[in-house]
Amino acid sequence: MKPILKFDKVSKYYPNGVHALNQVSLEVMEGEFVSVIGPSGSGKSTLLRAINRLIPISGGTVWLDGQAVSELHGKKLREQRRKVGMIFQNYNLVYSLSVLQNVLHGRLGYMNGWKGVFGIYSEPDKRKALDLLKELGLEQFSYNRTSDLSGGQKQRVGIARAIMQNPKLLLCDEPIASLDPSSAKTIMELLHDMTQKRNIACIVNLHQLDVALKYSTRIIGLSKGEIVFDGTPDQLTDEMIEKIYGTSRENLMIGGSDDEEKDTVDCA
Amino acid sequence: MNSNARGKIVEMEETVVRERKASRIPVKCRETNKFIPVFLCAVVVLTVMSLIYLEIDWLKMASRIPDVGIVFWNLAHLDFANIDLIVSSLIETISIAVLSLLYSMILGILFGMLAARNVFRIPFLSTITQSFFTFLRAVPTPVWVLLMLVCLGMGPEAGVAGLCVHTTAFFTKSFAQSFESIPDETLEALEVTGTGRLSIFTNAILPAALSQIVAWAGMRLETNFSECAILGMVGAGGIGYVISTSLQGYDYGTAGVAILLVFLVAYCIERIFVRIKKKFA
Repeated sequence: MKPILKFDKVSKYYPNGVHALNQVSLEVMEGEFVSVIGPSGSGKSTLLRAINRLIPISGGTVWLDGQAVSELHGKKLREQRRKVGMIFQNYNLVYSLSVLQNVLHGRLGYMNGWKGVFGIYSEPDKRKALDLLKELGLEQFSYNRTSDLSGGQKQRVGIARAIMQNPKLLLCDEPIASLDPSSAKTIMELLHDMTQKRNIACIVNLHQLDVALKYSTRIIGLSKGEIVFDGTPDQLTDEMIEKIYGTSRENLMIGGSDDEEKDTVDCA
Repeated sequence: MNSNARGKIVEMEETVVRERKASRIPVKCRETNKFIPVFLCAVVVLTVMSLIYLEIDWLKMASRIPDVGIVFWNLAHLDFANIDLIVSSLIETISIAVLSLLYSMILGILFGMLAARNVFRIPFLSTITQSFFTFLRAVPTPVWVLLMLVCLGMGPEAGVAGLCVHTTAFFTKSFAQSFESIPDETLEALEVTGTGRLSIFTNAILPAALSQIVAWAGMRLETNFSECAILGMVGAGGIGYVISTSLQGYDYGTAGVAILLVFLVAYCIERIFVRIKKKFA
């Protein structure tokens, strides 16, 4: 196993003075399933977006597959980016296009010149996309408008698009935050199975502690832009949880405590 | 007893006072927009100044009001003798409107892409394109057509070219706005796949903005058609020429038929695009 991602003392300061990341160092190996947990504003999203440079970092170096992403520009950056798939809370699909077209968007990074511009995909790509939709149980919707799908189905299209990139790393920014519990379970299981089967490292930002405990091989706890916990799910003790969230585990469950209101205000 | 009653009265008065105070609870925003009263005052001042400057003879205008009725009465006496000429020039007008719309849509998508801030993310390019087309838009269409008439000579070519200038400028702005209204997150999702900016435009922004483009095009076809009817009067061919010559020759019947047909076509265009928009949405 070799590291696919390495953070070397990465910092990010926003112009408003917020230190979203503070000297963060970490390594992610091939095939790992990492959950990043922490309260809102702890830097989870910034951490994820620093990897493919959706957010430029202020200090340190991000190494992706042996190359420093933080210094790349133009074509080189695009070539690195296509190694990283990304899944979003709001799916971010093009809803006026067909499901198949949205899945094929994952191939655009590999296509040069006018073929990419006019969206002329190769037959093997199309077959692969259809197979992927079948694997995700969406083959009957392949030619439907994406806007007709339910939330859980949209997120599955998002997963298919990311897998079409042949990524080495999959980033999931709160993939189940807009879904009902049953769809959320399906999505988490699909993410887990598909990445394990293809030996893709996966980093998931999560708000749901129980989900993180169930699926991850490793959990990273962020608090105020610093890593306060990095270990396996069974190493995550109640004291650690309290350190990450600044409140006890019981308080994290809705209706778990009397001063819940105060904690909600604190967390938000 | 007495003092008790007086105490009651005082108490009642107090409640009245409190209620009156309560009724004066302010309801408006603390920070009112000071621009609105200034704007309204400016409108009033400008109206009065315009009235004084133009020296409109209201009495003379009032005395001519019956003439309006007579002219419309004459127009209503439809004369179908020149129907072949009217229909052929109407078709010419529609063709000019459709052609200029088509050319302008292609150019508008192209320049709109350059003008939208979220496509290439080069603010300088967007600003340059936007300001250039703002200049083109500021000059009204008849002026452009007159310029083209000087350059290209009389005829429908000048009409198409002149309409295209203004329509392209209009589409550049409106399409750019539609492109910019596509959520950044959607573009972000394609950006992370390593897709180039032009491919993101053609594969995500353009299809997502297509329904808006159709809506703009429908609106503009209506405008172009009516503009075209006016442009005939300056010599760019079409139904406008028929209307202006027959009115000048007091041939109200022919003009009436032409005006009626212009109205019918404009109405049909609107209905058709309402249908199309419903299908696209």
